Amino acid sequence: MSSETGGKKMIKVKQVNHTFLIGKKGKEKKVPVLKGLSFEVEKGEIVAIIGKSGSGKSTLLHTIAGFMSPEQGSITVNGQETANLNETERAAFRLNNFGFIFQNFQLMPGLTAFENVELPLKLKGISAKQRKASVKQMMDKVGLTEVGDHYPNELSGGQQQRVSIARALITNPPILFADEPTGSLDSETEQDILLLIQNLNQTLGVTFVMITHDEEVASIAHRTFKMRDGELVKGDLQ
Amino acid sequence: MLFKDQVDFVRQHIKKNKLRVFMTILAATMGCAFLIVLASIGFGIQDTMRKEILQDQAITQVEVFPSENEELNLKEIKAVPFIGAIVQRTSMDTMTSFHFEDRMMSGDLRLTDMKEEEQSNLKLSEGRLPKNESEIIVGYHFAKNLWTDAERIKVEEGVEEADLPKGYEKSIIGKEVSLSLQPYESDGAFPERWDFTVVGVMENPAKDWIVDSSILMDESWLPKLTAAYEANGEQVPEIYTNTKIYTSSLEHVKSVTKDLKDMGYNVFSVSEQLEQIDVFFMAFKIGLIFVGTIAILISSIGIFNTMTMAVTERTREIGVMKAIGASPKLIERLFLMESAWIGIIGTLLAIVISYAVSFLANWLLPLVVGAALGEDEFSDLSITFSLIPWQLVLLASAMSIGVAMISGWRPARKATKIDVIQALRQEL
Repeated sequence: MSSETGGKKMIKVKQVNHTFLIGKKGKEKKVPVLKGLSFEVEKGEIVAIIGKSGSGKSTLLHTIAGFMSPEQGSITVNGQETANLNETERAAFRLNNFGFIFQNFQLMPGLTAFENVELPLKLKGISAKQRKASVKQMMDKVGLTEVGDHYPNELSGGQQQRVSIARALITNPPILFADEPTGSLDSETEQDILLLIQNLNQTLGVTFVMITHDEEVASIAHRTFKMRDGELVKGDLQ
Repeated sequence: MLFKDQVDFVRQHIKKNKLRVFMTILAATMGCAFLIVLASIGFGIQDTMRKEILQDQAITQVEVFPSENEELNLKEIKAVPFIGAIVQRTSMDTMTSFHFEDRMMSGDLRLTDMKEEEQSNLKLSEGRLPKNESEIIVGYHFAKNLWTDAERIKVEEGVEEADLPKGYEKSIIGKEVSLSLQPYESDGAFPERWDFTVVGVMENPAKDWIVDSSILMDESWLPKLTAAYEANGEQVPEIYTNTKIYTSSLEHVKSVTKDLKDMGYNVFSVSEQLEQIDVFFMAFKIGLIFVGTIAILISSIGIFNTMTMAVTERTREIGVMKAIGASPKLIERLFLMESAWIGIIGTLLAIVISYAVSFLANWLLPLVVGAALGEDEFSDLSITFSLIPWQLVLLASAMSIGVAMISGWRPARKATKIDVIQALRQEL
């Protein structure tokens, strides 16, 4: 594996535990969702985390991405311990290091495809002129040249996911998280998107962390972690 | 995020909810305009009253009277800083008649120091101030009251005001008039006559009903006039002196009034009157502004609702923005900008509307009131019903925009607290 990828540890997850409180206030029940998880992801890898619904894979992704803090354990991403960062620092860290691909695309309905892709660059405070050039280049790369001025509701599912991928990659982040990236797509479009992810991984060297319940999607990964009841199931590491 | 992009972002969101934002702006406009127009009535009436006072007398004039059995110490008064002129007009308790051609009139003779009159900026409607003893200036209605014997008899028999004789209708400037004196208890005038040249006519008094037939001549005439009484074996009449002090400028009226009061004199000046009026209107205006502020506060409820709706509607979008790296401060700023925008546009519209309402009120109300009272003259009166000074605009703008931002602050804070995971789970 190290020969295919950069060998640098991009993500280090160490003894991460997390518990949800479920039920009425005062009568909450503690439900452990992450139980002492530890693993590492190398630079340039495509890693798939698979598991059934409720296995804790989404919670793991949200924890690594900094949407929530784990109760215990440490997460180091690109050399930075993320658990110690405050809200503002986390937002800045996400902007500079992460790209996100969501199952239901999560595009801004009031913005065109071009403007959706442009959004992270706006957040970074990049000038309009530079943005225009970068977005145009990215749109070409993901095959959306013709639909830049279309609104999300005027695009097909596959096109929307391409916009989502372009938006995730526009800031050149070292890590890209994909939460069920093909969950809302038909099988033909799914293949297109998977090919695109593989292609981008190879050409740009981006590290992909994918969450899926689909074995076929996981097949493009260099390594697959299987989760069951908040734990990584031993023996499933490829 | 660049400021321009932030503005674009806010603009896009406002465009999406045009009607709702328009209605909120309308509420903000009405609240702010109500405050400005209401307070402008206070400013307008105050302005009218101030003008009324100021047109009655010279602004820099301070009247001073000695206490009983005391006299004015002019030397002491002259030492008070910022005194421009001390005008002492002396009058005699006697009948004074002025003759011109076949016309005659009885007027109030006043003897004064012309240099002091000049320094007090005595205003003339025509002509100039006297340069020597034989020159005099006369009141605005002097020539009109120069009647012939026939005209006087007609007036004494009784005529309507409109039928009063017009008097001497040409310019009296440069004409020679003669003065004669007659004690009240005497049957005839003294044989002495003194000739004078009229060189100036004083201004028309501000009050329409005042008839100014006075004559101002140099004070050096006083001994000559009193000598005539002695020569004719009559007792010298009572002589009255009225003293008016003129300060060098308006801002010194207050200090001069205070200094003279401290000296123990009875003093009356325009600043005294204005001060009382200003205190009353200050309280009046604060009351009006307070009522107007309630309107602004009511409109702020609209802004709060609009912004809360905006945050609720955009929960998923806010979640996505936070997920891809928007800081909580940026999210908060974007919503504050939106509520400030509503406040600013509402305030700008309110200012325009307020000036329009104020202009209309000042133009229309005198006509309406005049028509209602059936008096045509009323419509000509310059009454300011509404006046909007820049300070009022500034105060109302600050309050309106400030309240708009405060209203938007809580929804904006709520936006920053939106949980990314929950937001992303929301249905499209």
